[in-house]
Amino acid sequence: MNEVTVRRPGAGSWLTLIGCEAKMVARDTAGLVVPIVLPLLILIMNAAAAGDQEVAGGRSALEVYVLPLVFTIVLATIGIVNMPSFLAYYRRSGLLRRLAVTPASPTMVLVAQMVVSLAQAVVGIGLAYAIAVVGFGARPPADVGMALAVAGLSVAAMYGLGMIVASVAPTPNSSVAIGLIAFFALGAVGGLFGGPDSLPEPVARVASWLPFGATVEGLSNAWSGASVDASNLAGLAISAVVGATVAAFLFRWD
Amino acid sequence: MAPTSMGSMSQPAIEVENLSKRYGEVVAVDDVSLAVAPGEVLGVLGANGAGKTTMIELIAGLRVPDRGRVRVLGRDPRRDRAAVRQLLGVQLQEAELHSALTVGELLGLYRSFYPDPRPAEELLDLVELRGQARTRFEKLSGGQQQRLSIALALAGRPRVVILDELTTGLDPRARRHIWAGVEGLRDETVLLVSHAMDEVQRLCDRVVLLDAGRIVALDTPAGLVAKAGVANLEEAFVRLTGKEIVTEENA
Repeated sequence: MNEVTVRRPGAGSWLTLIGCEAKMVARDTAGLVVPIVLPLLILIMNAAAAGDQEVAGGRSALEVYVLPLVFTIVLATIGIVNMPSFLAYYRRSGLLRRLAVTPASPTMVLVAQMVVSLAQAVVGIGLAYAIAVVGFGARPPADVGMALAVAGLSVAAMYGLGMIVASVAPTPNSSVAIGLIAFFALGAVGGLFGGPDSLPEPVARVASWLPFGATVEGLSNAWSGASVDASNLAGLAISAVVGATVAAFLFRWD
Repeated sequence: MAPTSMGSMSQPAIEVENLSKRYGEVVAVDDVSLAVAPGEVLGVLGANGAGKTTMIELIAGLRVPDRGRVRVLGRDPRRDRAAVRQLLGVQLQEAELHSALTVGELLGLYRSFYPDPRPAEELLDLVELRGQARTRFEKLSGGQQQRLSIALALAGRPRVVILDELTTGLDPRARRHIWAGVEGLRDETVLLVSHAMDEVQRLCDRVVLLDAGRIVALDTPAGLVAKAGVANLEEAFVRLTGKEIVTEENA
Protein backbone atom coordinates (compact mmCIF):
# COMPACT_ATOMS: atom_id res chain seq x y z
CA MET A 1 0.00 0.00 0.00
CA ASN A 2 3.03 2.24 -0.09
CA GLU A 3 3.37 2.83 -3.77
CA VAL A 4 1.72 6.06 -4.76
CA THR A 5 2.28 8.01 -7.91
CA VAL A 6 2.34 11.58 -6.80
CA ARG A 7 0.80 13.83 -9.39
CA ARG A 8 0.87 17.54 -8.89
CA PRO A 9 -2.11 19.54 -10.15
CA GLY A 10 -1.62 19.97 -13.90
CA ALA A 11 -2.62 22.45 -16.59
CA GLY A 12 -6.31 21.55 -16.25
CA SER A 13 -6.21 22.37 -12.57
CA TRP A 14 -4.48 25.67 -13.20
CA LEU A 15 -7.05 26.66 -15.82
CA THR A 16 -9.93 25.67 -13.52
CA LEU A 17 -8.49 27.73 -10.70
CA ILE A 18 -7.85 30.76 -12.93
CA GLY A 19 -11.43 30.44 -14.20
CA CYS A 20 -12.71 30.33 -10.62
CA GLU A 21 -10.69 33.37 -9.59
CA ALA A 22 -11.99 35.21 -12.69
CA LYS A 23 -15.57 34.42 -11.62
CA MET A 24 -14.83 35.65 -8.10
CA VAL A 25 -13.56 38.97 -9.51
CA ALA A 26 -16.32 39.32 -12.11
CA ARG A 27 -19.08 38.59 -9.57
CA ASP A 28 -17.72 41.17 -7.14
CA THR A 29 -19.64 43.96 -8.85
CA ALA A 30 -18.71 46.65 -6.33
CA GLY A 31 -15.05 45.78 -6.75
CA LEU A 32 -15.22 46.48 -10.48
CA VAL A 33 -16.42 50.06 -10.09
CA VAL A 34 -13.14 51.57 -8.92
CA PRO A 35 -10.71 49.96 -11.39
CA ILE A 36 -12.98 49.93 -14.47
CA VAL A 37 -15.79 52.47 -14.17
CA LEU A 38 -14.00 55.27 -12.31
CA PRO A 39 -11.15 55.60 -14.85
CA LEU A 40 -13.69 55.57 -17.68
CA LEU A 41 -15.60 58.43 -16.06
CA ILE A 42 -12.39 60.44 -15.64
CA LEU A 43 -11.56 59.78 -19.27
CA ILE A 44 -14.95 60.79 -20.59
CA MET A 45 -15.14 63.92 -18.45
CA ASN A 46 -11.76 65.15 -19.67
CA ALA A 47 -11.49 63.75 -23.16
CA ALA A 48 -13.62 66.25 -25.10
CA ALA A 49 -11.59 69.29 -24.02
CA ALA A 50 -8.22 67.52 -23.92
CA GLY A 51 -8.69 65.92 -27.34
CA ASP A 52 -8.62 69.32 -29.03
CA GLN A 53 -5.87 70.83 -26.93
CA GLU A 54 -2.55 70.45 -28.67
CA VAL A 55 0.62 70.12 -26.64
CA ALA A 56 4.22 69.34 -27.65
CA GLY A 57 5.01 67.45 -30.88
CA GLY A 58 1.54 67.64 -32.43
CA ARG A 59 0.13 65.47 -29.68
CA SER A 60 -3.12 66.21 -27.86
CA ALA A 61 -3.42 66.63 -24.11
CA LEU A 62 -5.69 63.59 -24.19
CA GLU A 63 -2.83 61.42 -25.43
CA VAL A 64 -0.03 62.89 -23.35
CA TYR A 65 -1.81 63.62 -20.06
CA VAL A 66 -5.25 62.06 -19.76
CA LEU A 67 -4.65 58.56 -21.16
CA PRO A 68 -1.46 57.91 -19.15
CA LEU A 69 -3.26 59.02 -15.98
CA VAL A 70 -6.34 56.89 -16.71
CA PHE A 71 -4.25 53.81 -17.48
CA THR A 72 -2.23 54.32 -14.32
CA ILE A 73 -5.40 54.53 -12.22
CA VAL A 74 -6.56 51.20 -13.68
CA LEU A 75 -3.23 49.49 -12.94
CA ALA A 76 -2.88 51.01 -9.45
CA THR A 77 -6.40 50.30 -8.20
CA ILE A 78 -6.29 46.69 -9.37
CA GLY A 79 -2.80 46.02 -8.03
CA ILE A 80 -2.88 48.00 -4.78
CA VAL A 81 -6.56 47.81 -3.76
CA ASN A 82 -8.42 44.94 -5.42
CA MET A 83 -5.98 42.04 -5.54
CA PRO A 84 -4.81 42.42 -1.92
CA SER A 85 -8.41 42.58 -0.70
CA PHE A 86 -9.07 39.15 -2.24
CA LEU A 87 -5.90 37.70 -0.75
CA ALA A 88 -6.72 39.15 2.67
CA TYR A 89 -10.22 37.69 2.48
CA TYR A 90 -8.89 34.28 1.42
CA ARG A 91 -6.50 34.21 4.34
CA ARG A 92 -8.98 35.53 6.88
CA SER A 93 -11.71 33.07 5.89
CA GLY A 94 -9.46 30.03 6.16
CA LEU A 95 -9.64 29.39 2.43
CA LEU A 96 -5.86 29.35 2.01
CA ARG A 97 -5.62 26.95 4.95
CA ARG A 98 -8.24 24.70 3.35
CA LEU A 99 -6.23 24.67 0.09
CA ALA A 100 -3.07 23.87 2.03
CA VAL A 101 -4.46 20.40 2.77
CA THR A 102 -5.08 19.64 -0.90
CA PRO A 103 -2.46 18.95 -3.56
CA ALA A 104 -2.96 22.54 -4.70
CA SER A 105 -0.73 24.96 -2.86
CA PRO A 106 -1.99 28.37 -1.74
CA THR A 107 0.67 29.77 -4.07
CA MET A 108 -1.52 28.64 -6.97
CA VAL A 109 -4.24 31.00 -5.75
CA LEU A 110 -1.75 33.83 -5.58
CA VAL A 111 -0.60 33.24 -9.14
CA ALA A 112 -4.18 32.78 -10.40
CA GLN A 113 -5.16 36.09 -8.78
CA MET A 114 -2.24 37.81 -10.53
CA VAL A 115 -3.25 36.35 -13.88
CA VAL A 116 -6.86 37.45 -13.40
CA SER A 117 -5.78 40.90 -12.20
CA LEU A 118 -3.66 41.26 -15.32
CA ALA A 119 -6.63 40.28 -17.49
CA GLN A 120 -8.75 42.78 -15.62
CA ALA A 121 -6.16 45.51 -16.26
CA VAL A 122 -6.09 44.62 -19.97
CA VAL A 123 -9.89 44.90 -20.10
CA GLY A 124 -9.92 48.22 -18.21
CA ILE A 125 -7.15 49.75 -20.31
CA GLY A 126 -8.57 48.28 -23.50
CA LEU A 127 -12.01 49.80 -22.85
CA ALA A 128 -10.58 53.21 -22.01
CA TYR A 129 -8.28 53.17 -25.02
CA ALA A 130 -11.08 52.07 -27.38
CA ILE A 131 -13.31 54.90 -26.18
CA ALA A 132 -10.46 57.41 -26.50
CA VAL A 133 -9.67 56.27 -30.04
CA VAL A 134 -13.20 55.87 -31.36
CA GLY A 135 -14.86 58.71 -29.49
CA PHE A 136 -12.14 61.31 -29.19
CA GLY A 137 -9.61 60.62 -31.95
CA ALA A 138 -6.68 59.50 -29.77
CA ARG A 139 -3.73 57.97 -31.64
CA PRO A 140 -1.38 55.15 -30.59
CA PRO A 141 1.80 55.97 -28.65
CA ALA A 142 4.76 57.22 -30.65
CA ASP A 143 6.85 54.47 -29.09
CA VAL A 144 4.58 51.44 -28.70
CA GLY A 145 7.33 49.17 -27.42
CA MET A 146 8.27 51.63 -24.70
CA ALA A 147 4.62 52.12 -23.69
CA LEU A 148 4.24 48.33 -23.30
CA ALA A 149 7.51 48.12 -21.36
CA VAL A 150 6.40 50.87 -18.96
CA ALA A 151 2.99 49.20 -18.54
CA GLY A 152 4.59 45.81 -17.89
CA LEU A 153 7.01 47.22 -15.32
CA SER A 154 4.14 49.14 -13.77
CA VAL A 155 2.11 45.94 -13.34
CA ALA A 156 5.06 44.35 -11.52
CA ALA A 157 5.49 47.44 -9.31
CA MET A 158 1.78 47.67 -8.44
CA TYR A 159 1.67 43.93 -7.63
CA GLY A 160 4.71 44.44 -5.43
CA LEU A 161 2.93 47.18 -3.49
CA GLY A 162 -0.25 45.10 -3.42
CA MET A 163 1.62 42.19 -1.87
CA ILE A 164 2.92 44.49 0.86
CA VAL A 165 -0.67 45.60 1.53
CA ALA A 166 -1.83 41.96 1.61
CA SER A 167 1.03 41.12 3.96
CA VAL A 168 0.39 43.82 6.55
CA ALA A 169 -3.43 43.93 6.47
CA PRO A 170 -5.01 41.70 9.12
CA THR A 171 -8.53 41.75 7.63
CA PRO A 172 -10.17 42.27 4.21
CA ASN A 173 -11.58 45.63 5.32
CA SER A 174 -8.26 46.92 6.57
CA SER A 175 -6.73 45.73 3.32
CA VAL A 176 -9.11 47.94 1.32
CA ALA A 177 -8.44 50.85 3.68
CA ILE A 178 -4.66 50.51 3.52
CA GLY A 179 -4.81 49.97 -0.24
CA LEU A 180 -6.92 53.08 -0.82
CA ILE A 181 -4.69 55.21 1.41
CA ALA A 182 -1.62 54.00 -0.48
CA PHE A 183 -3.38 54.62 -3.79
CA PHE A 184 -4.38 58.19 -2.91
CA ALA A 185 -1.03 59.02 -1.34
CA LEU A 186 0.90 57.82 -4.38
CA GLY A 187 -1.68 59.37 -6.68
CA ALA A 188 -1.53 62.76 -4.94
CA VAL A 189 2.20 63.08 -5.57
CA GLY A 190 1.98 61.32 -8.92
CA GLY A 191 -0.40 63.58 -10.81
CA LEU A 192 -3.82 62.26 -9.82
CA PHE A 193 -5.05 65.70 -8.70
CA GLY A 194 -2.96 67.84 -11.03
CA GLY A 195 0.33 67.73 -12.87
CA PRO A 196 3.75 67.62 -11.19
CA ASP A 197 4.08 71.38 -11.84
CA SER A 198 1.66 72.02 -9.00
CA LEU A 199 3.88 70.16 -6.52
CA PRO A 200 6.95 71.40 -4.63
CA GLU A 201 10.05 70.53 -6.63
CA PRO A 202 11.53 67.89 -4.20
CA VAL A 203 8.18 66.09 -3.95
CA ALA A 204 7.84 66.01 -7.72
CA ARG A 205 11.33 64.55 -8.03
CA VAL A 206 10.61 61.78 -5.52
CA ALA A 207 7.24 61.13 -7.17
CA SER A 208 8.85 60.30 -10.49
CA TRP A 209 10.51 57.34 -8.73
CA LEU A 210 7.31 56.16 -7.08
CA PRO A 211 5.07 53.71 -8.97
CA PHE A 212 2.16 56.04 -9.72
CA GLY A 213 4.17 59.05 -10.87
CA ALA A 214 6.69 56.87 -12.70
CA THR A 215 3.95 55.14 -14.69
CA VAL A 216 2.21 58.39 -15.61
CA GLU A 217 5.49 60.04 -16.71
CA GLY A 218 6.73 56.95 -18.52
CA LEU A 219 3.51 56.47 -20.47
CA SER A 220 3.30 60.17 -21.20
CA ASN A 221 6.78 60.22 -22.72
CA ALA A 222 6.16 57.00 -24.63
CA TRP A 223 3.08 58.64 -26.13
CA SER A 224 4.75 61.89 -27.13
CA GLY A 225 7.86 60.13 -28.40
CA ALA A 226 10.20 61.76 -25.88
CA SER A 227 12.73 59.44 -24.29
CA VAL A 228 11.53 57.82 -21.09
CA ASP A 229 13.45 58.94 -18.03
CA ALA A 230 15.61 56.21 -16.50
CA SER A 231 14.37 57.18 -13.05
CA ASN A 232 10.85 56.12 -14.05
CA LEU A 233 11.92 52.65 -15.17
CA ALA A 234 14.32 52.16 -12.27
CA GLY A 235 11.68 53.32 -9.79
CA LEU A 236 9.16 50.80 -11.08
CA ALA A 237 11.68 47.97 -11.00
CA ILE A 238 12.75 48.85 -7.46
CA SER A 239 9.12 48.90 -6.26
CA ALA A 240 8.55 45.46 -7.75
CA VAL A 241 11.66 43.99 -6.12
CA VAL A 242 11.07 45.63 -2.74
CA GLY A 243 7.44 44.51 -2.75
CA ALA A 244 8.31 40.92 -3.60
CA THR A 245 11.02 40.84 -0.95
CA VAL A 246 8.86 42.32 1.80
CA ALA A 247 6.00 39.95 0.93
CA ALA A 248 8.31 36.95 0.93
CA PHE A 249 9.13 37.72 4.57
CA LEU A 250 5.83 39.07 5.84
CA PHE A 251 3.04 37.37 3.87
CA ARG A 252 1.24 34.80 6.00
CA TRP A 253 -0.94 32.03 4.64
CA ASP A 254 -3.12 31.67 7.74
CA MET B 1 -16.85 -2.14 9.63
CA ALA B 2 -13.24 -3.05 9.17
CA PRO B 3 -11.41 -5.06 11.79
CA THR B 4 -9.64 -2.97 14.37
CA SER B 5 -7.13 -5.41 15.75
CA MET B 6 -3.89 -3.59 16.32
CA GLY B 7 -2.01 -6.85 16.26
CA SER B 8 -2.32 -7.14 12.51
CA MET B 9 0.83 -7.07 10.42
CA SER B 10 -0.21 -4.19 8.23
CA GLN B 11 1.28 -0.77 8.72
CA PRO B 12 -0.96 1.71 10.57
CA ALA B 13 -2.73 4.27 8.39
CA ILE B 14 -1.99 6.96 10.94
CA GLU B 15 0.83 6.71 13.43
CA VAL B 16 1.51 9.28 16.12
CA GLU B 17 4.44 8.90 18.49
CA ASN B 18 5.12 11.04 21.55
CA LEU B 19 3.58 14.05 19.86
CA SER B 20 3.72 17.36 21.70
CA LYS B 21 2.79 20.90 20.76
CA ARG B 22 2.55 23.99 22.91
CA TYR B 23 1.52 27.57 22.20
CA GLY B 24 3.46 29.72 24.61
CA GLU B 25 2.49 28.51 28.07
CA VAL B 26 -0.43 26.41 26.85
CA VAL B 27 0.28 22.76 26.19
CA ALA B 28 -2.16 21.81 23.42
CA VAL B 29 -0.95 18.27 22.75
CA ASP B 30 1.07 16.49 25.42
CA ASP B 31 3.04 13.36 24.55
CA VAL B 32 0.31 11.66 22.53
CA SER B 33 0.93 8.29 20.91
CA LEU B 34 -1.62 6.29 18.94
CA ALA B 35 -1.98 4.15 15.84
CA VAL B 36 -5.00 3.93 13.58
CA ALA B 37 -5.38 0.73 11.55
CA PRO B 38 -6.24 0.84 7.84
CA GLY B 39 -10.02 0.96 7.44
CA GLU B 40 -10.60 1.90 11.05
CA VAL B 41 -12.88 4.73 12.11
CA LEU B 42 -11.34 6.39 15.15
CA GLY B 43 -13.37 8.91 17.11
CA VAL B 44 -11.59 11.80 18.80
CA LEU B 45 -13.48 13.03 21.84
CA GLY B 46 -12.63 15.74 24.29
CA ALA B 47 -13.94 18.93 25.83
CA ASN B 48 -13.25 22.22 24.10
CA GLY B 49 -9.56 23.00 24.45
CA ALA B 50 -8.61 19.36 24.97
CA GLY B 51 -6.27 19.50 21.97
CA LYS B 52 -8.40 17.82 19.31
CA THR B 53 -7.98 20.44 16.61
CA THR B 54 -4.26 20.85 17.22
CA MET B 55 -3.77 17.10 16.98
CA ILE B 56 -5.60 17.06 13.67
CA GLU B 57 -3.61 19.99 12.35
CA LEU B 58 -0.39 18.19 13.29
CA ILE B 59 -1.54 15.03 11.50
CA ALA B 60 -2.56 17.05 8.43
CA GLY B 61 0.85 18.74 8.39
CA LEU B 62 -0.56 22.22 8.96
CA ARG B 63 1.56 22.66 12.07
CA VAL B 64 5.06 21.63 13.09
CA PRO B 65 5.22 19.48 16.22
CA ASP B 66 7.52 20.54 19.03
CA ARG B 67 8.37 16.92 19.67
CA GLY B 68 7.38 13.51 18.40
CA ARG B 69 6.49 12.30 14.96
CA VAL B 70 3.51 11.78 12.71
CA ARG B 71 3.16 9.30 9.87
CA VAL B 72 0.24 9.12 7.46
CA LEU B 73 0.41 5.87 5.46
CA GLY B 74 4.06 5.72 6.46
CA ARG B 75 4.82 9.25 5.30
CA ASP B 76 5.84 12.41 7.09
CA PRO B 77 3.08 14.95 6.31
CA ARG B 78 5.54 17.82 6.18
CA ARG B 79 8.55 16.26 4.47
CA ASP B 80 6.50 14.12 2.09
CA ARG B 81 3.95 16.81 1.60
CA ALA B 82 2.83 16.12 -1.95
CA ALA B 83 2.12 12.43 -1.37
CA VAL B 84 0.23 13.01 1.88
CA ARG B 85 -1.86 15.81 0.34
CA GLN B 86 -2.96 13.41 -2.34
CA LEU B 87 -3.83 10.57 0.05
CA LEU B 88 -5.48 12.63 2.76
CA GLY B 89 -8.91 14.26 2.64
CA VAL B 90 -9.59 16.88 5.28
CA GLN B 91 -12.74 18.61 6.37
CA LEU B 92 -11.67 21.56 8.49
CA GLN B 93 -13.90 23.25 10.97
CA GLU B 94 -14.61 26.87 10.04
CA ALA B 95 -12.78 26.89 6.74
CA GLU B 96 -14.64 28.92 4.17
CA LEU B 97 -14.63 28.45 0.46
CA HIS B 98 -14.75 30.88 -2.48
CA SER B 99 -17.97 32.66 -1.48
CA ALA B 100 -19.14 33.65 -4.97
CA LEU B 101 -18.60 30.23 -6.57
CA THR B 102 -21.43 27.73 -6.93
CA VAL B 103 -21.48 24.25 -5.42
CA GLY B 104 -20.83 22.78 -8.87
CA GLU B 105 -17.91 25.13 -9.55
CA LEU B 106 -16.31 24.38 -6.18
CA LEU B 107 -16.63 20.65 -6.73
CA GLY B 108 -15.07 21.08 -10.16
CA LEU B 109 -12.21 23.08 -8.66
CA TYR B 110 -11.38 20.66 -5.85
CA ARG B 111 -11.81 17.63 -8.09
CA SER B 112 -9.28 19.16 -10.49
CA PHE B 113 -6.57 18.98 -7.81
CA TYR B 114 -6.59 15.16 -7.73
CA PRO B 115 -5.49 12.56 -10.28
CA ASP B 116 -8.55 10.30 -9.91
CA PRO B 117 -11.42 12.28 -8.40
CA ARG B 118 -14.86 10.92 -7.51
CA PRO B 119 -17.55 11.91 -10.02
CA ALA B 120 -19.29 15.16 -9.09
CA GLU B 121 -22.73 13.49 -9.20
CA GLU B 122 -21.66 10.86 -6.70
CA LEU B 123 -20.42 13.55 -4.32
CA LEU B 124 -23.56 15.65 -4.74
CA ASP B 125 -25.74 12.63 -3.95
CA LEU B 126 -23.66 11.65 -0.94
CA VAL B 127 -24.29 15.00 0.74
CA GLU B 128 -27.70 15.59 -0.86
CA LEU B 129 -26.78 18.79 -2.65
CA ARG B 130 -27.84 17.87 -6.18
CA GLY B 131 -30.54 20.54 -6.07
CA GLN B 132 -28.01 23.19 -5.01
CA ALA B 133 -25.39 22.58 -7.70
CA ARG B 134 -25.98 26.05 -9.14
CA THR B 135 -26.24 27.83 -5.80
CA ARG B 136 -23.38 30.04 -4.68
CA PHE B 137 -21.55 29.02 -1.51
CA GLU B 138 -22.54 32.27 0.26
CA LYS B 139 -26.24 31.50 -0.40
CA LEU B 140 -26.12 28.04 1.20
CA SER B 141 -27.39 27.43 4.71
CA GLY B 142 -24.84 26.56 7.38
CA GLY B 143 -25.77 22.90 7.15
CA GLN B 144 -25.44 22.88 3.37
CA GLN B 145 -22.02 24.55 3.58
CA GLN B 146 -21.00 21.87 6.06
CA ARG B 147 -22.20 19.12 3.73
CA LEU B 148 -20.32 20.63 0.80
CA SER B 149 -17.20 20.74 2.92
CA ILE B 150 -17.58 16.99 3.56
CA ALA B 151 -18.03 16.32 -0.15
CA LEU B 152 -14.84 18.25 -0.94
CA ALA B 153 -12.92 16.25 1.67
CA LEU B 154 -13.88 13.09 -0.19
CA ALA B 155 -13.40 14.49 -3.71
CA GLY B 156 -9.95 13.03 -4.28
CA ARG B 157 -10.76 9.45 -3.18
CA PRO B 158 -8.57 9.87 -0.08
CA ARG B 159 -7.30 6.78 1.74
CA VAL B 160 -7.31 8.65 5.03
CA VAL B 161 -10.09 11.08 5.88
CA ILE B 162 -10.11 13.62 8.70
CA LEU B 163 -13.55 14.95 9.59
CA ASP B 164 -13.64 17.76 12.15
CA GLU B 165 -17.11 18.22 13.68
CA LEU B 166 -18.77 16.12 11.02
CA THR B 167 -22.43 16.86 11.70
CA THR B 168 -22.34 19.84 14.04
CA GLY B 169 -25.19 22.13 13.09
CA LEU B 170 -26.99 19.65 10.86
CA ASP B 171 -30.60 18.61 11.36
CA PRO B 172 -31.32 15.01 12.44
CA ARG B 173 -32.26 13.79 8.98
CA ALA B 174 -29.13 15.26 7.37
CA ARG B 175 -27.00 13.76 10.15
CA ARG B 176 -28.35 10.29 9.45
CA HIS B 177 -27.70 10.69 5.77
CA ILE B 178 -24.10 11.82 6.37
CA TRP B 179 -23.62 8.94 8.80
CA ALA B 180 -24.77 6.47 6.18
CA GLY B 181 -22.28 8.06 3.80
CA VAL B 182 -19.41 7.64 6.28
CA GLU B 183 -20.47 4.04 6.94
CA GLY B 184 -20.20 3.53 3.21
CA LEU B 185 -16.48 4.39 3.32
CA ARG B 186 -15.33 0.79 3.57
CA ASP B 187 -11.65 1.11 2.65
CA GLU B 188 -10.91 4.52 4.03
CA THR B 189 -9.38 5.19 7.40
CA VAL B 190 -11.33 7.90 9.19
CA LEU B 191 -10.38 10.21 12.02
CA LEU B 192 -13.62 11.66 13.33
CA VAL B 193 -13.60 14.60 15.73
CA SER B 194 -16.94 14.91 17.43
CA HIS B 195 -18.91 16.23 20.34
CA ALA B 196 -21.87 14.00 19.53
CA MET B 197 -21.94 10.76 21.50
CA ASP B 198 -24.61 9.17 19.30
CA GLU B 199 -22.42 9.82 16.28
CA VAL B 200 -19.34 8.32 17.91
CA GLN B 201 -21.33 5.35 19.15
CA ARG B 202 -22.69 4.63 15.71
CA LEU B 203 -19.65 5.26 13.50
CA CYS B 204 -16.48 4.64 15.46
CA ASP B 205 -14.61 1.39 15.92
CA ARG B 206 -12.55 2.93 18.68
CA VAL B 207 -12.53 6.22 20.54
CA VAL B 208 -9.64 8.24 21.86
CA LEU B 209 -10.56 10.49 24.75
CA LEU B 210 -8.40 13.60 25.17
CA ASP B 211 -8.15 15.86 28.16
CA ALA B 212 -5.69 18.76 28.49
CA GLY B 213 -3.73 17.43 25.53
CA ARG B 214 -3.26 13.94 26.93
CA ILE B 215 -4.92 10.64 26.12
CA VAL B 216 -7.24 9.67 28.98
CA ALA B 217 -8.62 6.54 27.37
CA LEU B 218 -8.41 4.68 24.08
CA ASP B 219 -10.93 1.89 23.60
CA THR B 220 -14.01 0.75 21.76
CA PRO B 221 -17.15 2.72 22.65
CA ALA B 222 -18.43 -0.32 24.58
CA GLY B 223 -15.05 -0.75 26.24
CA LEU B 224 -15.06 2.88 27.42
CA VAL B 225 -18.51 2.47 28.93
CA ALA B 226 -17.45 -0.74 30.69
CA LYS B 227 -14.19 0.81 31.92
CA ALA B 228 -16.03 3.76 33.44
CA GLY B 229 -18.65 1.49 34.93
CA VAL B 230 -21.49 3.63 33.65
CA ALA B 231 -24.56 3.23 31.46
CA ASN B 232 -23.56 5.03 28.29
CA LEU B 233 -20.81 6.83 26.41
CA GLU B 234 -21.90 10.25 27.57
CA GLU B 235 -21.54 9.27 31.20
CA ALA B 236 -18.24 7.58 30.41
CA PHE B 237 -16.98 10.85 28.92
CA VAL B 238 -17.96 12.79 32.04
CA ARG B 239 -16.57 10.17 34.38
CA LEU B 240 -13.23 9.81 32.56
CA THR B 241 -12.53 13.50 31.92
CA GLY B 242 -14.40 15.01 34.85
CA LYS B 243 -15.97 17.45 32.40
CA GLU B 244 -19.46 18.00 31.14
CA ILE B 245 -19.99 17.68 27.43
CA VAL B 246 -19.93 21.09 25.80
CA THR B 247 -21.40 21.18 22.35
CA GLU B 248 -20.78 23.91 19.78
CA GLU B 249 -24.32 25.23 20.33
CA ASN B 250 -24.09 25.86 24.06
CA ALA B 251 -20.37 26.58 24.23
